[in-house]
Amino acid sequence: MEHMTTTVNAAGAAAGTVTGSAGSAGSTGKSGSAVSFQQVSKAYGEVKAVDGLTLDLYPGETVALLGPNGAGKSSTLDLLLGLSRPDSGTVRVFGTSPRDAIAAGRLGAMLQSGGLMDEVTVRELVGLACELHPRPHRVHDVLAAAGITQIADRKVNKLSGGQEQRVRFAVATAGANDLIVLDEPTTGMDVTARQAFWATMREQTDQGRAVLFATHYLEEADAIADRVLVLHRGRLLADGTAAEIKTRAGARKVSFDLLDADTQEVAGPALEQRLRQLPCLSALTVSRGGSAAHNSGHTVRLQSTDADATVHALYGLGFYPRNLEVAGLGLEQAFVAITAAEEARTA
Amino acid sequence: MNGALDLDTPGSAPGPGRTDSAPGPGRTDSAPGPGRTDSAPGLDQRSRTSTGKEKRVTTHKGVGALVRLEVRRALRNKKFLFFSVIYPALLFLILAGGADSTSEVGDSGLSMPAFMMVSMASFGALTAVLMGNSERIAKERESGWVRQLRLTSLPGRGYVLAKTASAAVVSLPSIVVVFVTGAVVKDVRLDAWQWLALTGAIWAGSLCFAALGVAVGYCATGDAVRPVTMILYFALSLLGGLWMPTTTFPHWLQNLAEWLPTHAYAALGRAIELGDAPHARDIVLLVAYFLAFAGGAAWLYRKDTLKA
Repeated sequence: MEHMTTTVNAAGAAAGTVTGSAGSAGSTGKSGSAVSFQQVSKAYGEVKAVDGLTLDLYPGETVALLGPNGAGKSSTLDLLLGLSRPDSGTVRVFGTSPRDAIAAGRLGAMLQSGGLMDEVTVRELVGLACELHPRPHRVHDVLAAAGITQIADRKVNKLSGGQEQRVRFAVATAGANDLIVLDEPTTGMDVTARQAFWATMREQTDQGRAVLFATHYLEEADAIADRVLVLHRGRLLADGTAAEIKTRAGARKVSFDLLDADTQEVAGPALEQRLRQLPCLSALTVSRGGSAAHNSGHTVRLQSTDADATVHALYGLGFYPRNLEVAGLGLEQAFVAITAAEEARTA
Repeated sequence: MNGALDLDTPGSAPGPGRTDSAPGPGRTDSAPGPGRTDSAPGLDQRSRTSTGKEKRVTTHKGVGALVRLEVRRALRNKKFLFFSVIYPALLFLILAGGADSTSEVGDSGLSMPAFMMVSMASFGALTAVLMGNSERIAKERESGWVRQLRLTSLPGRGYVLAKTASAAVVSLPSIVVVFVTGAVVKDVRLDAWQWLALTGAIWAGSLCFAALGVAVGYCATGDAVRPVTMILYFALSLLGGLWMPTTTFPHWLQNLAEWLPTHAYAALGRAIELGDAPHARDIVLLVAYFLAFAGGAAWLYRKDTLKA
């Protein structure tokens, strides 16, 4: 994104934010929702960690929670889990308070900040988690599902970071939860362990459980989540499938060269002025030279919410694009674009 | 035992339509097992309508499970075991070492070994419950284990209860070991009822310090908790007369010492050794301290819960 000097359509990127829940202002949220936040705010001193958040999650959904550092992800999860109370608004989980949902064994969670008991074996700890759960699985099965059967007799304080994460996961899934909340679950795991972890997680969602996870790895959100929430300064900036979010950010990257020989305007600013008339544009950079332009033209990179329309209009404006390339945007770039647009809007 | 848990009625969780009822081929239940109530809608229904009752049962089961694991863990911790079980008996042998069994301690009416036996039994119980609670609670708050436990059905107070119970399980042998040492090595002779009453009184009295330990565990953090515990521990032991009779103290310090919970605590045992019932004043003082410590612990605990 280092070339994104100009951002168009900033408001548009933020416009379609909250979906679905705007009209459902009941104190208990929509019936059937696994999680319902209604106008929830939480401040720590001067900082508004969560700012008027309204959202509903439904059974069976796999939802990724994204946001830059300090966006309010952890605060949101704390509120959802009843670890902190909102200053205003209501948080309901399966129609009850978070605490009651946990007590009923419907909500399980794996926290980044959650510690483990020292001086006990993995098996003992997982056994305890099973005994504490109102609807427990068998210890043997939990160990197997988390892939920690081999290390079951090791002391918890002698594990590697990745193994520790798996034990945390086992503790979080010791019983038949209807919703599993995971905060940065794959931190500290290598690529193989991460893939294995998500394979395990997929088994959980295949059984109809809802999963909400916060992550730094956007490719995980892209590959795994049915739905992606983007938080920014405690507000919900985007809510949709990964594909929708990419579209909103300017789904496609278009790049091409304009040779001086083909163009009337040789000066960059004038050229840029004319290119800006293209429809569906969300970002645009024009640079002199470029590998294919042989120092006799410009390289143009742009993002478009509708690449077909943009390219079509390009010819309509009398341009002759060379080396035209159209490519999809990754969720990571979409995420950066959306949050950068919001930064620019609120700055 | 926990308000948040007791108030739920069977209907309070209006099961929002679960969408997972279609068992499809992918749903082969790779992890079966008896506890698996989530698959068939019928089973689900049943478990939901009886949640209220079930929950109370699992709550108790959960606290029991945590107590068992905490005890096993405490018994595995050799250093902790040494300090709380062996150390008081060793100290007893050293302090009562040279004294013959005929010399009286001050005007207490007790021989030195008998006097020190109660002191050391009280000291041992104090060590087990104060150290056992404060340092571990502070450490586990910091590591995030307490936070993780709050994401289980265990009621918040279950944690404090389990900690205190496991400390009490360790404190009992520490009392008994001192008594056995007193009877076998130092020839202390008491009636059967006195041995039993002593054990009971010293064990029950240690609850006061267990509450203090919880309070310290919830108020001090990290590096502070050990020094704070140590200062309290030594001040209470020394000034309360657990290590030496307070009769050797200057007069003003003796007056002060009389108001310490450890002084009242040791006095319980001494009264029993003399064949009397414990003095009302000592009991009242201990109960007052217990209420103050437990109240403080409860307040700090609630503050921590809201903050965490």
